[in-house]
Amino acid sequence: MSSTLLDPPAPPRQLIRQKRRRSYLPWLLLSATMVILGVMTGYPVVRLLVMSFQEYERAQLMGVPAEWVGFDNYAAVLTDVEGFWTVFARSFALMIVLVVITMVLGMLVALLMIRVGKRMRLLMSVGLLLAWAMPTLAATTVWGWVFDTQYGVVNNLLTAITGDRWFGYSWLINPLSFFVILTCIVVWGAVPFVAFTLYAGLTQVPEEVMEAAQLDGASAFQRFRLIQVPYVRGIITVLVVLSMIWDLKVFTQVFVLQDIGGDRELTNTIGVYIYQTGMAQGHYGMASAIGVIFVVVMLTIAYPYVRRTLREDEQ
Amino acid sequence: MIKIRKRLADTGFGVLALVVFAVAAFPVYWMVSTSFLPNNRIRGENLAFFPTPDVFTLDNYRTAMFNARAPFPPAVLNSISVTFLTLVIALVVGFVAALALTRFQFKGRRTFIVLILVVQMIPGEAMIISMYRIIDGWQLLNTIIGLTLVYAAGVLPFTIWTLRGFVNGVPKELEEAAMIDGCSPAGAFWRVTFPLLAPGLVATGVFAFIQAWNEFVTALVIMQRPDAMTLTLWLRTFLQATQATNWGAVMAGSVLIAIPAVVFFLIVQGRMTGGLVSGAVKG
Amino acid sequence: MNRNRLVGAAASAITLTLALSACGNAGGAATAEETGPGEVRVWLVGTDTPPEARDYLKKTFEEQNEGSTLVIEEQAWDGLVDKYTTALAGSDAPDVVEIGNTQAAAFTEAGYFREITGDEFESLGGDDLLPGFVEAGDWEGKHYALPYYSGSRVVFYSEQVLGDTEVPTTLDEYVETAVDLKTDDLSGVYWPGQDWYNALPFIWENGGYVAEQAEDGTWDAGFSSEGGLAGLEQIQTIMTEGNNAPADAQETDLQVPFCEGKVAFLSAPSWIQWSINAPEEPEEPEGVPGCASTYGKDLEGMALPGKDGGAAQVFAGGSNIAIAQKSARPDLAMSAYEILLSDEYQTILAGNGLIPAKTSLFEQVDQETSIGKAAVEAAANAKLTPASPKWADVESKMLLQSAFTKIASGDDVKAVAEQLDADIEEILNS
Repeated sequence: MSSTLLDPPAPPRQLIRQKRRRSYLPWLLLSATMVILGVMTGYPVVRLLVMSFQEYERAQLMGVPAEWVGFDNYAAVLTDVEGFWTVFARSFALMIVLVVITMVLGMLVALLMIRVGKRMRLLMSVGLLLAWAMPTLAATTVWGWVFDTQYGVVNNLLTAITGDRWFGYSWLINPLSFFVILTCIVVWGAVPFVAFTLYAGLTQVPEEVMEAAQLDGASAFQRFRLIQVPYVRGIITVLVVLSMIWDLKVFTQVFVLQDIGGDRELTNTIGVYIYQTGMAQGHYGMASAIGVIFVVVMLTIAYPYVRRTLREDEQ
Repeated sequence: MIKIRKRLADTGFGVLALVVFAVAAFPVYWMVSTSFLPNNRIRGENLAFFPTPDVFTLDNYRTAMFNARAPFPPAVLNSISVTFLTLVIALVVGFVAALALTRFQFKGRRTFIVLILVVQMIPGEAMIISMYRIIDGWQLLNTIIGLTLVYAAGVLPFTIWTLRGFVNGVPKELEEAAMIDGCSPAGAFWRVTFPLLAPGLVATGVFAFIQAWNEFVTALVIMQRPDAMTLTLWLRTFLQATQATNWGAVMAGSVLIAIPAVVFFLIVQGRMTGGLVSGAVKG
Repeated sequence: MNRNRLVGAAASAITLTLALSACGNAGGAATAEETGPGEVRVWLVGTDTPPEARDYLKKTFEEQNEGSTLVIEEQAWDGLVDKYTTALAGSDAPDVVEIGNTQAAAFTEAGYFREITGDEFESLGGDDLLPGFVEAGDWEGKHYALPYYSGSRVVFYSEQVLGDTEVPTTLDEYVETAVDLKTDDLSGVYWPGQDWYNALPFIWENGGYVAEQAEDGTWDAGFSSEGGLAGLEQIQTIMTEGNNAPADAQETDLQVPFCEGKVAFLSAPSWIQWSINAPEEPEEPEGVPGCASTYGKDLEGMALPGKDGGAAQVFAGGSNIAIAQKSARPDLAMSAYEILLSDEYQTILAGNGLIPAKTSLFEQVDQETSIGKAAVEAAANAKLTPASPKWADVESKMLLQSAFTKIASGDDVKAVAEQLDADIEEILNS
């Protein structure tokens, strides 16, 4: 992950030429991948495209031939302001919030891990590892239990502390607090990976450089901004791109939290919306169109990154 | 003066570290604690914060593990098999592919790399139906092989992408030096480069593991017989059957599905951090 | 019954090798009839079907079809439509499935169920079957899913909680009593916000309607009609002033608050009585704790009172049952199906407080208790949701759950009703 941007210089020219001669070998090595991805991903992607131009409902799953409808599905989706666009905007806003909080907290935790002693670092690692290893479904369930309306520990503690009666207060019914809790769950699960990776990167900053800067009178923040950040810039980029992809596609947490409480309509994100349109309501053509639109948008966002990676690869 | 300030700062950071630990570990603690408490001590005003010996109970685990509605033993077996197979396929196939993409120059290489990246952006929920039809067509519904195929295809792109970075991170010169010493190209790779990649394989394997162990939407569609459930499906079924009546048992169920994951993470932990570091090394 | 014996006799005559090949039968082979022993998978939903009935089904089937086995796989109501959508379209489909009566249309329309021919329909009960439910499982004049059972909602209460409060006799009194009784620790009426089934009687009793079809075929939703709004106002009064249940909670596990003594009136399907009357410490790991020795002891039931007294028009909840189109063994599936609709089996359901699928068996419902009496009274006055195949979409979009959650949180009734009507009309008229 973190290494992708830090590719070593490409091999000298004559080496490349030498490799070109055995051009069947790389394809042989790639064959297994191509078979698996071709069948299990390539074919479904083609089907996705095809279905997005068809009226594909439950009856079609049972073998009734599908009718071609041209761009009808796309038109229906793109003009659905209340449904699609709202969900879309919500997913994006959520993604930005999640990425920013995850990255900032991850960086702070990483810096703290560098700063504290060995024992404290071990303690932190253990805590982070536990959070990271928790299966998403289990984690969401546990958080749902912590914030449970009637018996949750949060309402219990609030009642004890404030003296007011918090039992029966629903945290999920207000979309805003639903998303606050969702953010807690996602960030809690995502920070460990970011923190560990950044920590690993930060330990590579040579001790002498930091010391020299300190002697020159650079403040801690200056050292962070001028030395540490540039050192891990590549890692940060990769982490941000990965987090963006993952957070836009967040599914399990929303899906399970909606089962526990809250108003589905006001809390759908794009993944859950696709699932509901397709699986729950049986409009597979429509769901496919949403999926295609989603990929196009993702590609637009990721385009600069893709181009940069390729350029680096070429050098 | 400076010494005192430094000590104060040390203490401050120590406290912060404790806070990080507490926040990270609290939900896990709360899950474990609840799972050992009887139902009358986990709800209402009479909340117990720690399973002291007088209230400690294993009933929740009994409920979770011997529930006829959601059979536990086959679910464990299914999850472990699927995850293990996915891990092996993803690492072996992914590693070989990563080699091809880093150690060789050939036509179509760039296209391949772009495709690998693009594929990761497709929302899986949109492809469930097509996946289902393929697996159904092969008569592989409710089988471990069927689910493994879907998972392997799901994690492969990321595996290749990441491993490619790791292979790139091992200087080519090392191999060349070995070749000068009389090793064949394959031998040089096997003896010199491969051992250096071990941490990278571990770090990548962790992701394959997380994916396969956590996934449940595809499993929901492909594994529909009760004895074909994976652990996530089992927990979900269990959750639906007992929601709100029996949080203790639900937490016990959560603990049960978290344990193998935590154990796996603990085993690979040392190597994983090593992997992250080596991945981060400037080329 | 004769038919079953015949099948059974034929079954025993076939060798085991044939039976084995039956397991690997390819998808879509509903036409490729096979004979011989095999396995039939029956999907029942939730815990509504009592264990006694399950045992009877399995035992009777396996007696009638020697060598064959019947497996009951229990499904959850949550996400049922999603699951059926793929499961019933695949090669490893179950053979007989239970489906919520309002969900059936989505599948009958798409060809998921095997047609029940006119002859079969007659021998399975014909006009004796609950008409509203038969209609729910029809598509284009053909039968696909027949009634399984009905269970109208009954209002439960325990005198231990109620004390000397008078039991309300009209809907207005019911609302008033709920508000009067409510304290921090007691819900007058326990009403989780997503429970829209319980809301419909208030709409109907006040002269409103869910949706009506005009002569030109267009649908008009009526939550924002005069009667609809009056009903919604009453609902909001109970939900916000007479109720402690969370506004976004689902109507699951209603016995829990009741068993804590925190509920005066609980409007719930009649079979909830068994959950309330379960022992505090269940013996089976999958058992759910009840309160047989406390609030279950003097559990009473009544039909929801109507606007002018008597029983209110309530929602006819319940299930239909169908044979999957892709069942690998339609012959065996039919044999199980016949048992499910047999008088003997339906009598067991009736004995457990469910309204049987056949009108002639109504008297089998135990009317010694107030609960059984209330169940029959309510059923006599029960109504269904609009008879449009698109109605299932309204449900799977969770529009009603969402709207009533808003009403429970105190949102403006008129605004919610107008939005809801617009959403419903958009779906039904699409």
